[in-house]
Amino acid sequence: MIDPLTHATVDAPMLADTLSRFFQPDTLARILIEGLGKAAIYFIIAIGLTLVFGLMGILNFAHGAFAMVGAYIGGVIMVVALSSASGAFTRIALFIVVVAVVFALLTAAGSALEIKLVRPIYDRTPMYQILLTFGVGLILEELARIIVSSRGIQPEPTWSAAQATIPGFLSGPSDVLNSLFGVNIRGFYLFAIVSGAILAVAVYLFLTRTLYGLYIRAGSEDPEMVEALGIDVRKAFTIVFGLGTGLAAVGGVFLMWDPTWGPSVMLNLDVLLYAFVVVVIGGLGSFKGTLVAAVIVGVADSFTTWLFNTGIVAFSGLPEVTIFLLLVIALIIRPQGLYGVEEVGGH
Amino acid sequence: MSLLELEDVHTYYGESHILQGMNLTVEEGEVVALIGRNGVGKTTTLRSILQLTAPRSGSVRFRGEDLTGNPTHEVADRGIGWVPEDRRMFGYLTVEENLRVAIDPDQEVEPLRDEMFDLFPDLARFREKEARNLSGGQQQMLAIARGIVGDNELLLVDEPSEGLAPLIVEQVVEALREVSTETTMVLVEQNFPLAMDLADRFYLIDHGTVVESGPTEGVTADDERIQRYLAA
Repeated sequence: MIDPLTHATVDAPMLADTLSRFFQPDTLARILIEGLGKAAIYFIIAIGLTLVFGLMGILNFAHGAFAMVGAYIGGVIMVVALSSASGAFTRIALFIVVVAVVFALLTAAGSALEIKLVRPIYDRTPMYQILLTFGVGLILEELARIIVSSRGIQPEPTWSAAQATIPGFLSGPSDVLNSLFGVNIRGFYLFAIVSGAILAVAVYLFLTRTLYGLYIRAGSEDPEMVEALGIDVRKAFTIVFGLGTGLAAVGGVFLMWDPTWGPSVMLNLDVLLYAFVVVVIGGLGSFKGTLVAAVIVGVADSFTTWLFNTGIVAFSGLPEVTIFLLLVIALIIRPQGLYGVEEVGGH
Repeated sequence: MSLLELEDVHTYYGESHILQGMNLTVEEGEVVALIGRNGVGKTTTLRSILQLTAPRSGSVRFRGEDLTGNPTHEVADRGIGWVPEDRRMFGYLTVEENLRVAIDPDQEVEPLRDEMFDLFPDLARFREKEARNLSGGQQQMLAIARGIVGDNELLLVDEPSEGLAPLIVEQVVEALREVSTETTMVLVEQNFPLAMDLADRFYLIDHGTVVESGPTEGVTADDERIQRYLAA
């Protein structure tokens, strides 16, 4: 049998063996849980992108760069503050502090960026916004490359010292998952699922239970009408752009510990592409759509990574190809996305 | 001092000169109708008052204060409500949430909201319903409630009867009549008899300027002045 991508011969007995392993409960559980872990991180990153587009109509091409900055800032703090003797509790506690610090820093930076650079071009065509945000992303990427290189760190593929700050019980198989499902899965993915769920609930409560959340949802539908009701929409724009930036950076902090990602300048474009795929499949501006699409992309990523790791497909780019295939299918079947509407709508 | 004064207002969309020296006044407590054919500048007049489409020259004064150049949210905060042409509900928000957006954060929500529910009982019944699921008439009621909630002193109403069945139009007219007992109103309306019925005075607009004005009493569609400008 010939693999259509690599033109290599595929061993038929090995294929049968792989398929039988796939249908075993522990393999399915592993793919699902790892997929949900990845989905949690993709959701954290993509929700900021969809909020910014939903309210402001801006496709933020600097979003991946904010995740990259978050990963590097998180890595610097973790590497500097921890020693090899630091225990698991210290590592987890510091990680939580890092998440809070990175969120605060990048939310402030994003807000400043919106006021100083994005606000002056609201009245211009979308091309200006794309060029501006893409340019900001490239500048941040090159700055990161210069800074980390000057410190003797390889800007790519990943900064392994930062990845190594993960406590042992998260980098190895989880005892909890082993006792619950009898499967050996990295504890990190369970950690990501729990953290992602907490952040998703927090964002949901902000949008549905606070006055500013109400203004943001209303503004996603009709910002001019919100302004005509006496609300300063520009303030809401600044808050949402800041929050979106902060959430992307928090996603970056999680990617720092993710064994398949890690701090790298490549995060700028790689993360941006994943985030855009999630947002487009889910429907631009939709919270629910982003959540569902993140799960679809996360599980597809996990499944195709497993296919590569088991050797059934020798093409290392399979996860990326599959995800873009999903995007193409979604655009053909439902161009507005799973939960999108014809026009931009908050929901 | 009039509640609202527009003096020599010139407003453009790009290079298109829409309002070409608009002058009008609105006194407290009255209903003023802006009538005229499509595209003569009626809606643009309302947008210019709210500074949604800011005039390039001239002045818009509310209680003697010049609004020209102010951001729209500050203009609205002075007590000017807007019921736009196509209602522009926040379709994915509930009826209650639509009203909540329009209530100033410093004001107590419940009494103001309940006041609207007393005025429009249908809205109370569907308070938890998303606005996109309301009928056209209910949406129009919600648009009016959203425009007046929070004790706005001036309500700008744009084509309230557009696209509604005659029976529903009657209900909307009754609602506006009740609102007009407490709120000054500028009404843009294509339905000439309806506009004359609701308004105390009218301004007939053509090519972005006032060509006729006066009390509505006794004015009919047969009037030669009206015929000249309203005929297609």
